[in-house]
Amino acid sequence: MSRRRFDIRLSATIASVRDMSRKAFRPLIIVGGISALSASCATNAPQDTWQPKGPNSKLIDDLQQPVFLVAGIIGLIVAVAVIYTMIKYRDRGQPIPEQTHGKPALEITLTIIPALILAVVSVFTFGAIFKLAKTDDTEMIINVTGQQWWWEYDYPVQNEFGITQPIISSGQLVMPVGTKVLLRETSRDVIHSYWIPALNGKRDAVPGRIHTLRLEADKPGIYAGQCTEFCGLSHANMRMEAVALSKEDFAKWVAKQQAPYVAPAENTLAKQGEEVFLNQCVRCHQVNGLTRADGTPAIAAPDENVWSGAAPNLSHLMSRNTFAGAMFDLLSKQCRDEVWNAPSDVVGAKYLAGVTEECLNQKDLRAWLRNAPEVKPMYANPVDLVVSNGKYRGMPYLALSEDDINKLVAYLITLK
Amino acid sequence: MAIIERPAPTVPAIVTPTTTYGLLKRPVSATGWRSWVFTVDHKKLGIMYGAAAMLFFIIGGVEALLIRLQLAAPNGKVLNADLYNQMFTMHATTMVFLFVMPMAAGFANYFVPLQIGARDVAFPRLNAFGFWAFLFGGIFLNLAWFLGGAADGGWFMYAPNSGPVFSPSNGVDFWALGLQITGIASLTGAINLIITVLNMRAPGMSLMKMPIFTWMITVVQFLLLFAIPVITVALFLLSFQRNFGAQFFDVAAGADPLLWQHLFWIFGHPEVYVLILPSFGIVSEVLPVFSRKPLFGYPFVVFSGAAIGFVGWGVWAHHMFASGLGPVSVAVFSLTTMAIAVPTGVKIINWTLTMWGGKLWFTTAMKFAIGLIVLFTVGGLSGVTHAVAPSDTQQTDTYYIVAHFHYVLFGGAVLGIFSGFYYWWPKVFGKMLNEKLGSWNFWLMVIGLNLTFGPMHILGLQGQPRRMYQWTEARAGEGFFNFAFWNLIASIGSFVLSVGILLFLINVLITARNPQKAPLDPWNARSLEWMTTNPPKEHNFDVIPTVHHLDDFFHQKYEEDSVTHTMTQVRTAEEIMAEQERNADKHIHMPSPSYWPIVLAFGLPVITFGLIYSHLISVIGGVIVLFAAYGWALESSTAPDSDFETNTPGTGLDKVASNHD
Repeated sequence: MSRRRFDIRLSATIASVRDMSRKAFRPLIIVGGISALSASCATNAPQDTWQPKGPNSKLIDDLQQPVFLVAGIIGLIVAVAVIYTMIKYRDRGQPIPEQTHGKPALEITLTIIPALILAVVSVFTFGAIFKLAKTDDTEMIINVTGQQWWWEYDYPVQNEFGITQPIISSGQLVMPVGTKVLLRETSRDVIHSYWIPALNGKRDAVPGRIHTLRLEADKPGIYAGQCTEFCGLSHANMRMEAVALSKEDFAKWVAKQQAPYVAPAENTLAKQGEEVFLNQCVRCHQVNGLTRADGTPAIAAPDENVWSGAAPNLSHLMSRNTFAGAMFDLLSKQCRDEVWNAPSDVVGAKYLAGVTEECLNQKDLRAWLRNAPEVKPMYANPVDLVVSNGKYRGMPYLALSEDDINKLVAYLITLK
Repeated sequence: MAIIERPAPTVPAIVTPTTTYGLLKRPVSATGWRSWVFTVDHKKLGIMYGAAAMLFFIIGGVEALLIRLQLAAPNGKVLNADLYNQMFTMHATTMVFLFVMPMAAGFANYFVPLQIGARDVAFPRLNAFGFWAFLFGGIFLNLAWFLGGAADGGWFMYAPNSGPVFSPSNGVDFWALGLQITGIASLTGAINLIITVLNMRAPGMSLMKMPIFTWMITVVQFLLLFAIPVITVALFLLSFQRNFGAQFFDVAAGADPLLWQHLFWIFGHPEVYVLILPSFGIVSEVLPVFSRKPLFGYPFVVFSGAAIGFVGWGVWAHHMFASGLGPVSVAVFSLTTMAIAVPTGVKIINWTLTMWGGKLWFTTAMKFAIGLIVLFTVGGLSGVTHAVAPSDTQQTDTYYIVAHFHYVLFGGAVLGIFSGFYYWWPKVFGKMLNEKLGSWNFWLMVIGLNLTFGPMHILGLQGQPRRMYQWTEARAGEGFFNFAFWNLIASIGSFVLSVGILLFLINVLITARNPQKAPLDPWNARSLEWMTTNPPKEHNFDVIPTVHHLDDFFHQKYEEDSVTHTMTQVRTAEEIMAEQERNADKHIHMPSPSYWPIVLAFGLPVITFGLIYSHLISVIGGVIVLFAAYGWALESSTAPDSDFETNTPGTGLDKVASNHD
């Protein structure tokens, strides 16, 4: 075959492929549309990255959807081109082809086209990067600290939200909807990463540094998240949720968190539980307002007992739905589903109801009190504590009696 | 063996040295285990690299299967958290450092000298040392399994989680020191191959007439030459932190743990190209042979490979888009990452256009090569989706990334390696792998890898993070894209994949038992490594070829009609071989085997073992290294003729010509 004839054949075939692909595009778009639709219809995938529930994640999603589509189309073109070539030029006894060494013009064209596509993508990417890094429009600040293997939230005083004294919570991040929240993240030990896919991408929490992450939810709801930087033994068990409440509900939540401590009534099981708590738990866990028998405030000293330096503050524990780094639910399965699946107009009220006696997930809570490292791996082996100067890496086995556990559960349920 | 009087004897001459040279007599065995352990022959070393890498591939594969068993259902109980963390750390470490890298080193060792028409590499003893250092380093790494647990910080080993408090077992020490040893192996290999390629090409072979596989290997060696020192520094910092109380990553002492991430990924990203470029080289050899056409746009493929090699240094922070680098850095690295997609795309286009207009022969090697084009493209495109940094902050550390790099590394690097197996097996072992079994091997692997890694795209986009020893139903969802179904499919897929690989091993056994020899030029191939016997003689070529063309062997067989451009066969491979034998060099000068490389390499793990347990042992290791280095230095590279003065009747080797270095 002459070079010229080869050229003609090449361009004719390219034209027919082009033609074919043009025809192929219509079903392609339909197929793409269906799969995109079914992706958005997949219910109850709490960490689905394609279901943005706030402006930051929406910005990412608007950027990534066309990229996925273009990537998918290019992938199909390559696959079709390869298969077409395989069929067309399979060995049918044709002579050894001419030893052509390439066509620089074609080559350069096919290099420039993808470069141009990427140039366009990069323009939009740049815009999104800088929008997502903005901090000057912040309306509310929450400090987030990662620690093996739970998250602590610290709400600094912000009078416009009724936060007149710092609120310290863990596991579930409670935030008002329609508010530009800026997380200031850090860590007390290793690197963790904060990720609520429905609200934004992830941002690492690095010890010694403060990284910011914008969060904003459009509607009230509970949005699931997970620590996504490998952080050791119980990395898989380091979860969190962002709970977005309407502004009124958020104000109620703030008021509740700032409510003074209510000691259990005398001569109740709960009161005995308070005593067990004072003997055992208060070494690490703070309950704001709790006092000892002599009236002195009970101050926790987790830094003396825990390597990473802190333990969850348990004030108003029952206003949260989860415990142990959001690994376990404080709510029984049925009550949990009621809250999680509630429509956005009532989810706030349901959440604020907190954990009632009937709804308490006794099984997991008791298992935790019985032997925490057994249900959540935490380097419980004493040999491993040599390197940490005997300090614990998470909650240790406390050898509590069943009696003490009964008392403690009765007490904890009063921490509304 | 030392010196070979023309054509090499079929019955090797076994002789006893009469004199000592340096510290020890030189090993002279031409058969038996000694001929392998003390060899400096690049071909034997290439085979040993391949065999050892295959062994580690099986170990890494078993680790992968355990991971998939654990994740097949929620709250998996096959492994506990600690063991799971060790498992995924060692799976990645093994596959990257002990399988793909040494396998590529094996191919490079065997074929680079053959492709450039050389008789060995520039420094044969250094080559042997590199192999043994890799093997001992790999064994040392895995010793940790039996001595208190393997490394558990992930192959990226982020500080401070890799520190002594957060990883109290000795696993990370074994990991850091073991990688230092394999790093030494890679570094010596890189220097050796670069010098070999630059200095020992056959007459007439300009760089732009060099086979593309050799080109890609050369780019890889430059990447290694500059990347290995970076990881060496990082690993030293880590070891000093763990073993001597240094504080390079200790926040309390004012350090910044992001230092480790930068060091690791400045090594780690070029490393990705170290893994993939050899396979790009292999398929760039295979596709032209089975398309009966030269590689389309050879200079573009060469320069895009070199471009990847350069730009590969400017993309490391795309592993850190969620690390909090700040928007300017993120934007820059987002742009460079997109830029590197362009030369990669050039390769895909060139491979497809190589097949275009060809006369395609779908052998197993060709199937694997085409499989690479399609599956690597999938991995490349998913790579572009996370070059878009904001999009990456949703995808990073999820199974989407696991899917991405397994399409790149399994669909790319491993399929390329298997393509190389089927293509070069007759060259290396003189027998053809069974093509029918090969076809089963190919299809099971391709189906298996798509079943395993395809669903991981879905899992990742549905928000399943990586490196979790269990996944919970609370995050699994219930719709079509629920975790349970796709995790199960992925686990089933991993076993299909394993059966595919098992078929390859069966194929190797069947082929070994099959007495039928491969023809001289079974694929009607194009490059110089086919212009010699199967397997090649110890001295590779009876006469060093003079090169006139790219694909010189093909052009010796075929001539082009200047008017019609049709190709006519003018000579057969057998005729070319016969001519070579007629004109064989009378005096071929080959390097002699040596004890020192393996002894020196053995000293290294002894030193590192002592660093963990007792410095006294390190001293012993140091003595071994010094002793071996001393012996090595005193040994001449070729044994004097007196050692080889022997009479082996009927072999043609009756009198060895005298030679002096």
